[in-house]
Amino acid sequence: MRRALLLAVLTLFTAFAAGPFLWVATMSVRTTTEISLDHYAWPEKWHWEKFPAAWFNSAYNVYFENSLLVVLGAVAVLTVVGAMAAHCFARYRFRANRLLYFVIFSAIIFPPQITIISLFQILVQYQLYNSLIGLTLVYIAVQLPLTVYILESFFARIPSDLFDAARIDGYSEWQIFWKVSLPIAAPALATTVILNTILLWNEFLYAVVLITDEAKRTLPLGIQRFMGDQLEDVGMIATGLMIAIVPVVLIYAFFSEKLIQGMTAGAVK
Amino acid sequence: MATVSLRSLSKRYPGAENLAVDSVSLEVAHGEFMVLLGPSGCGKSTTLRMIAGLESISSGELAIEGRRVNDVPAKDRDIAMVFQSYALYPHMSVLDNLAFGLRRRGIERGEIERRVREVAATLGLADLLKRKPHALSGGQRQRVALGRAIVRDPKVFLFDEPLSNLDAALRVGMRGELIKLHHRLGATMIYVTHDQVEAMTMGDRICIMHGGKVAQIGAPLEVYRNPADLFVASFLGSPPTNLIPSRFNGEALHVGEATLRLPRSSVQEPIFGIRPEDIRIDGAAPHTEGEILAVEPLGAETILRVRLTGIAADVLVRGPRSVNAKVGERVPLAYDLAAAHLFDPATRKRI
Amino acid sequence: MIRSSVDRQPWGAILAFLLPAFTVYTAFTAYPVLRTFWNSFHKVLPRSEEFVGAENYAALAQDELFWRAVRNTFTWACVSPLAEVGIGLVLAMALYARVPGMRFFRIAWFTPVLMSYVVVGIIWVWIYNYDWGAANALLRALGLGALVQAWIGDPKLALPSLIFITTWMWSGFNMVVLLAALHSLPSEVVEAAELDNCGWGAKLWYVIVPLIKPTLLNLLVLSFIGKMKIFDLVWITTKGGPLWSTETVSTYVYKRAFEWTSFDLGYPSTIAAVWFVIVLSAVLTLTWLFRTRERLEY
Repeated sequence: MRRALLLAVLTLFTAFAAGPFLWVATMSVRTTTEISLDHYAWPEKWHWEKFPAAWFNSAYNVYFENSLLVVLGAVAVLTVVGAMAAHCFARYRFRANRLLYFVIFSAIIFPPQITIISLFQILVQYQLYNSLIGLTLVYIAVQLPLTVYILESFFARIPSDLFDAARIDGYSEWQIFWKVSLPIAAPALATTVILNTILLWNEFLYAVVLITDEAKRTLPLGIQRFMGDQLEDVGMIATGLMIAIVPVVLIYAFFSEKLIQGMTAGAVK
Repeated sequence: MATVSLRSLSKRYPGAENLAVDSVSLEVAHGEFMVLLGPSGCGKSTTLRMIAGLESISSGELAIEGRRVNDVPAKDRDIAMVFQSYALYPHMSVLDNLAFGLRRRGIERGEIERRVREVAATLGLADLLKRKPHALSGGQRQRVALGRAIVRDPKVFLFDEPLSNLDAALRVGMRGELIKLHHRLGATMIYVTHDQVEAMTMGDRICIMHGGKVAQIGAPLEVYRNPADLFVASFLGSPPTNLIPSRFNGEALHVGEATLRLPRSSVQEPIFGIRPEDIRIDGAAPHTEGEILAVEPLGAETILRVRLTGIAADVLVRGPRSVNAKVGERVPLAYDLAAAHLFDPATRKRI
Repeated sequence: MIRSSVDRQPWGAILAFLLPAFTVYTAFTAYPVLRTFWNSFHKVLPRSEEFVGAENYAALAQDELFWRAVRNTFTWACVSPLAEVGIGLVLAMALYARVPGMRFFRIAWFTPVLMSYVVVGIIWVWIYNYDWGAANALLRALGLGALVQAWIGDPKLALPSLIFITTWMWSGFNMVVLLAALHSLPSEVVEAAELDNCGWGAKLWYVIVPLIKPTLLNLLVLSFIGKMKIFDLVWITTKGGPLWSTETVSTYVYKRAFEWTSFDLGYPSTIAAVWFVIVLSAVLTLTWLFRTRERLEY
């Protein structure tokens, strides 16, 4: 009896948690007229053509592409740069080590406002305003502290014997990094890659400040723009939302365990 | 003080093919110290946890003091348990650990204080009352776990391999303490272990379990001398019972070269079982002889591994420490037939 | 640690490893922070900058909107964590009892966290729609039509409605973390509590919560920080309205810097600087308050 009640509550909560997405998914294949008649009906005709329509006619392909470029570029550089720094912090002992680590690590708490105005000024000054490159650079800086934090604790756990053996074998410091640290840290690297990809894919604030050019908008910006339009084309927006969600869902489908672990790492004490 | 009665108790884990506990029946009398003995995975811990109420019972009946308790929640069964890992509350002091169960039961403060003080004194914990578990040694933690059970004054005490986390010296000491405790409290205690020495020295009766089933129940010496089946025969005793294939031929049993006068049995080719201490080196009236393969002088006694002639079987022989034996020598052996047993190789039971 | 055979640190390598990260950090984090503070003492117009001393700070002290935004943000940052972590704990306890389909629930409940605040915001604007939104539709379907509200249109309800959204989003996250924490508890200790006459409530209060306290506090602080920073959700749903009832410091800074026609970046920089100090102090205070004095070894 108690079990049944428990399951009922859990199912209710699942409906609560996942319901909104299901709703959007159904709306994404219905036309706006159909939707205005009944917002909650199950799709009668599955209008899959809305997706290519949104993709090409509403410029979602542009937004998607921009997001892809920025996110992939940022994550690629971020991972390498972050790994280098993390490896250094974890494996070399020097007096400024903990201080410098703290300097980078503490940036996780900084509210974005403290940097965003100046970043705006800097990007304008160097003509990187409204450029995907500018945004990419900012994204690298934004996610660097978290990346270094996650990777440092992982690198620190690698047994020193491996490094000593490599040094005896004549490896240079750089080779040790590439051939010993990185391969072993592959799981942690995968985690940070997935994590950063999702966080940056969804990032909004920096993008909205630093990009105003229609052609350069990232996906979150593109979607938001449609909200402001006078006649709210609910059906179209729903389709757009699905386009935005799909990559994330795909990653989640294949890497749910890794993703959950990555996002919750460090929260369990 | 209470009786505990298990009738065909079984446990099947969902999705498992075999029963973890298969139709176990057991009667524990008032104030008896019953030991559940067996190798790991034999179901003894699961049985104990079913008695405690920490595992649900799949089928069968469990009764405490004649009352059926299958569906009674653990906290209402009036039992106390000492866990293998002690399971002390890490965030509470020793005093709070001891008093917690009593407080939760609404016993009034003065009574709680009295009981705690008494138990702490008995177990030598009086100075440790303010400490937290992480500041205690293994032996001290074990005593706190014990104290927590005693202070509850339950009908039945359950022990789940409480000594296995202690080092050898401490274990011997605690064994003695537990025996004394049992005599003092006179409580019904059910004790799970895989260690035969603990079982033999502490139990009023031993229940040997194997593969989820009960192999034999009886007093220690009884079980030792008259094992019910091959498993019990080989499990109890160190070094283990010698088990040799044999054959009835006419009136006598042929064990290798030896011809033994034993009553005929229905089984044509039983397994002959005899403990190492029941084989003598006897030149006067030997049954057979063999070649010494190995000599293990243990100080107090010597163990000889002898290859019997006429059969490819080795026996272990317990010889006195003064035995003069060298590898390669031939020795005459005599079997103490009164202590020997025959087992049916098919059913694995004693005949 | 790598021990050099000459016991001398390979400074060249250390520098090489740290240089890229610190270059990026200095250029896009450290320098901007300093520049913001510098801005705060100036009137920063598109083509000129004028030193104004503490004038901006003085104005800020009188700025009603700013303080309103601070109150809103703090309310959010104090209420939301309690709700999110509380619900997360309840859910984790439910799954801890090993219900069937545990893995499915875990994955399903974690989903809201992955979605962009933009996506979440749009969906909830629709849910909160007065005429056809799911919230009111549900109430009407249950015969509670009298209770329908303009959830984000009513100044009194807007902030709570937004807080509800973040609670919806993050409960699953907290649940996952707490479930992991619960599983790391020694099961025998919980069983011992069972034998000590503890029902679920008592087990929770006396044994389980004290043992997962470090994780709980950690989650509260994490949630607090997250809500202090929040922008996306507000921007998509209410933009700080109606009537500044959902104005947060982040939206206020954005408006002053990029939407108001004064073009002065100095004042918003002042807001940012003060807010920076406030957030850091709050986090430091919380961390100090929540420090666990002893190691809970088990």
